[in-house]
Formats: sequence, C-alpha cells, structure tokens
Amino acid sequence: MAKDWGTTNAACESYEALLEDYLNGDLSAADGKTVTEHWQSCAGCRAALQNAAASLRLLKVAAPTSDPGHGFARVVMARIREKSAGGANFWQPFVSFGWRFAATATLALGVFVSYNAGWGHWLQPNVTTARPTESVDLFAPEPARVPANGDEVLMMVADNSHAKF
Amino acid sequence: MRDVPKSMAASATALRLPLQVGEKRVDDRELVRLSQNGIEAAFEELVRRHQQRIFGLVAGILHRPDDVEDVAQQVFLKAYLGIKKFDQRAAFSTWLYKIAVNECWDYLRKRKVRPLVYEADLSEEQVSRLDGIVSSDRPPENASTRTETREILDKMLEELPEQDRQLLVLKEIEGFSVQELAEILDLNVNTVKVRLFRARGRIMDTYRRRLNSSANAHATSAAIRKES
Repeated sequence: MAKDWGTTNAACESYEALLEDYLNGDLSAADGKTVTEHWQSCAGCRAALQNAAASLRLLKVAAPTSDPGHGFARVVMARIREKSAGGANFWQPFVSFGWRFAATATLALGVFVSYNAGWGHWLQPNVTTARPTESVDLFAPEPARVPANGDEVLMMVADNSHAKF
Repeated sequence: MRDVPKSMAASATALRLPLQVGEKRVDDRELVRLSQNGIEAAFEELVRRHQQRIFGLVAGILHRPDDVEDVAQQVFLKAYLGIKKFDQRAAFSTWLYKIAVNECWDYLRKRKVRPLVYEADLSEEQVSRLDGIVSSDRPPENASTRTETREILDKMLEELPEQDRQLLVLKEIEGFSVQELAEILDLNVNTVKVRLFRARGRIMDTYRRRLNSSANAHATSAAIRKES
C-alpha cells in the first residue's frame, strides 16, 4: 500500500519558494539552516517537503526528449529555402505589375512635359491668337463706326431717319 | 570574424565556415551576426545547437509527441525570418525559447487542445513499482518497465492543470533552470519557485488518488473472487 506523503498546500506561504530552493540545493548554508530549523518544527512544511521530494523521485523516471539528429536541421533549412522561393513566386505578379505601371507613368509624364514645353504649340499654332484676350461687355452700346463705302453711308442715313420717326 | 558580403549569401551552403576553430566553438552571437548577413550555414549551425532544447520545450508544453517536430520546425522558420530584427540584447537561446513558447500557445489555441483525462486503474504490479520508485529512489530495472512507468507518469501529468504540468516537465524532465523558466514564461523567479513547489504537491495528490482507486478496485475484485 502506498505511503501517505502529506497533503498539498500545507506549507507556510512565506516558505514555499525557500523550500523549493532547499529541495534543489540552491540555498546558502545560513539560509539552509534557517529552513531546516523551520521545517523541523512545522508539520505542514515538513509534510509538503516530503511530498515534493517524492515528486522529484517520481519525475526522475522520465527521460528528456531526445535529440532529433542532424536530419532535422537539414529539413528546417529545406523548409526555409522552400518558403523563400515561395515568397518570391507570391510577389512576382505584383512586382511585374509595378514595373509595367511605372513604365506607363513615365511615358505619360514625358508626353505631358514635352507638350507643355512647346511641342503642342507647333501642332496647334493659332489656338492662342484666335481666342479673345480682353473681356467683352455684351450689353455695352456698339462703338461708332466709320462707314467703309457709299452703301454704308446710305444705310446709316436711312437708320438715323427711321429712328427719328 | 570577417564580414561576409551579401553577394556570397547565395552560395552560403557551399561556403565552408570555420564554425569550430580548434577546440573553440564560434559562439552564438557570431553565428547570429553571420545569419543576419544571409549566411544559411551559420543559421543551420544554430539550429543544430538548439534543436534538442527546443524539442524538449515544445514537448513539455504541448505534451503531444506527434506534433512536436512540426511545431519545432515552425519555431526555427520564424526565427530565421525574424533574425535580422534580433538586436542581441538578450541571449539567442532566450529569444528562441520565447518564439517557441508563443508558437506553442498559438498551436494550442488553434487546435483547441484540451488535456486528456485518463482514469483507468493501475495493476497491482504497477502500483508496487510506482511505490518503489517514489519511496526509495529506485529506478525501473529494464527498458520496457521504464517505458511503461513513463506512460503512467505521462497520464498522471495530463491530469494536472496545464501550467503545473508544463513547469514540472520543463524543470524536472527537460532540465530547464528556474531562471530560464522565469525568462521564457515572463514570470518572476520567486513565482516560478512557488508554482513549482505547489505543482509538486498536486502531482503527488494525483499519484495518491490513482493508487487509492487502484487499491479499492483490487480489494473489490478480490472480494468478488472470494465470494464466488
């Protein structure tokens, strides 16, 4: 039949970390003496320490995970290379699109700059001169004109006479 | 050590790096620096040096032997992809262990893995064997007994809360120190000690419960045999 190894959490809270150190042999001589004196006089800590020591023996049964060997490193490196290659393939369409877009944009910019620099004037020489340069008041009376020939003189006389009546 | 131009990185695997000069090994810092310059052979050496501890760490957290290798590979893949950003203020091993812990949490979260609960009784032989180990530090005699005892221990560990199991496995089975555990798990050293000490008590509770339930089962079957 199994022995009674004490009960869980029976140790004094302030001594738990020290008891763990004690169990692992990590205490200085002075601290070790203090802890020993404590557990010898404290039933809860004594039981918890016995319990912990038993767990240490129980866990010794298990061996650590074994080394996976040199093959593992090779598999990892192969996966890394595969991933790097995969990464390049993934971005390739975006890179191609980027280059095509950049080339088109450069061409368009070149056309625009050369048009502004005068190439466009050569294609349409009279565009600027055909446009009115001054603003025109549509409701202002027509300025007096000098008749160009005899017919126009007669027309002006007839207009004036007609306006009087 | 010399600086290796990036143009040489493509032929890195063919490059013969002096990873061991006489008796002295090139340290991790140097290998990290070379890896940051794109030398694959240096990273491969880092994988070789740390693979066993990463396996132990991943196995300790996951407790699923079938998935350990996949997760460990993923850890090194992430380390390779992130090594240029690693500033070497911490040790490479600490940085790598943190990647491993995060990868394990991600894995557990994605898979929603829950600890298995195994409550089958132990045979009388198993009870006396375990009792012998716990009472007198007597290791199992042969390999098959050791394997069987390990399986019983694994099942007991699975009954513990996840954090208790991880701490016990990493400390007592995989050999991580309390300081390492504190760094890896982002805990105070004292907290790790207290949790470990309590986890020891809990595994012994599990152990007692199993022994008692087995003893009761054997007593009942003996009584039934006697009556018949």
